[in-house]
Amino acid sequence: MKKLNCLKSYQMSRVGVAVAVAAAVFMAGCASTPPTPAPTEQMAVSRAAVNNASSAGGNEFAPVQLRSAMEKMDAAERAMGEKDYARARLLSEEALVDARLAETTARSAKAQKAAEALQEDNRVLRKELDRKAQ
Amino acid sequence: MQKNQYFPLALIAVAILSGCSTSSPPQNAALTAAHSSYNSARSNPNVTSLAALELKEAGDTLIKADDAFNKAQDAATVDHLAYIANQQVGIAQETAKRKAAELAVANASAERNRTLLEARTAEADAAKRQAAISQNTAEQQAAELAVADAKAQRDRASLEAKTAEAEAARQQAVIAQQTAEQQAAALADARAKAERDQALIAQQEMQLKELNAKKTERGLVITLGDVLFNINKAQLKSGGIRNVQKLADFLKQYPKHVVLVEGHTDSTGSDSLNQELSERRANAVRTALIDKGIGGDRVATRGYGEAYPIAGNDTSAGRQLNRRVEIILSDSNGNIAPR
Repeated sequence: MKKLNCLKSYQMSRVGVAVAVAAAVFMAGCASTPPTPAPTEQMAVSRAAVNNASSAGGNEFAPVQLRSAMEKMDAAERAMGEKDYARARLLSEEALVDARLAETTARSAKAQKAAEALQEDNRVLRKELDRKAQ
Repeated sequence: MQKNQYFPLALIAVAILSGCSTSSPPQNAALTAAHSSYNSARSNPNVTSLAALELKEAGDTLIKADDAFNKAQDAATVDHLAYIANQQVGIAQETAKRKAAELAVANASAERNRTLLEARTAEADAAKRQAAISQNTAEQQAAELAVADAKAQRDRASLEAKTAEAEAARQQAVIAQQTAEQQAAALADARAKAERDQALIAQQEMQLKELNAKKTERGLVITLGDVLFNINKAQLKSGGIRNVQKLADFLKQYPKHVVLVEGHTDSTGSDSLNQELSERRANAVRTALIDKGIGGDRVATRGYGEAYPIAGNDTSAGRQLNRRVEIILSDSNGNIAPR
């Protein structure tokens, strides 16, 4: 029986190897997030972007986006504190695009304001000249 | 048994397959929204031209999201990538808006300059028009002046013409008057001349009558009879001298007339004596005329003796008539018909 068992165990061990290999393949294929290093650089870039958006007038022209960026940045800082680096990376990446969107929105709003002011000036000027010409 | 050995393996494979196929629905809402906004941005020409780089970043992210979704990574990752792609689309759109606004700013500056330039051009044009108007006005005034000038000149010319006409009329009147005066004068002259002529003719006729002049074929003949001479002498008596005086007066008045003095005798006495006597008597008359101031060249003499009697020599009365001196008066040209 021992021999049979041994034989059996041998056979079983072959099956076990196969299962182990399959499990390894499975593990590798299904691994959602490999352990990540601290996204220090990403955090710095995102923080700078949030600051830029703030100083570019995002508070006035894109308050929703800027607040979203700030909240995500705060959350990312917390995740960093908890060493949940994957979450920190995700949050900081989103904070970055939010901040950039806020900044771009602020800049485009300012540019549009300037263009409108100039166009209004031109309208006034033309009206003035037309009246003078008459 | 052999078959049974593979069974767990098949189960494991099924388990693996079922484990790997995600339980999420085949469509991710965030990913669909990201696609939708990406497509809408891509159809905006402003975004594709002004924010191409930003749009490409969004597109790349979207591909990653699709990739994650297709590889059935967990929903959080797909959501995360879809979210980033969505925000990047927003960034691209805002960037396009910003650049368009900046272009508008530049255009506005250019337009402002253009407007100002147009205004200056308009001002310059207006000034030019004003100048042209001024020039036109000046030209018009000059033309009006010229017209007025021309009118004045025309008036002056007309006045001059009228003056000249008046002058001509006056001159004509003067000429007419002068002509009339001349004609009147000529008429008066003619009348006076006629009167004078008539008077002269009358006077002449009277004088000739006084001289007993007779009209003959040879012209007027004045006969100084024998009684005016001393017998057989060539001296004129005082009565004869008076007759000669009258003839001299007549000849002085009519200086174109000349006279031929012919002496005649009767038949008594010798021919030579008679010839001599006739010549001497004719010369006596000539001398008397010269004495009275008549030029000798106007007085010719002939002695004919007894050759041309005018009466019979058989009676004393006839003989007395034959003893005579005849003075033939020429015409006004000094011609005397020969005997």
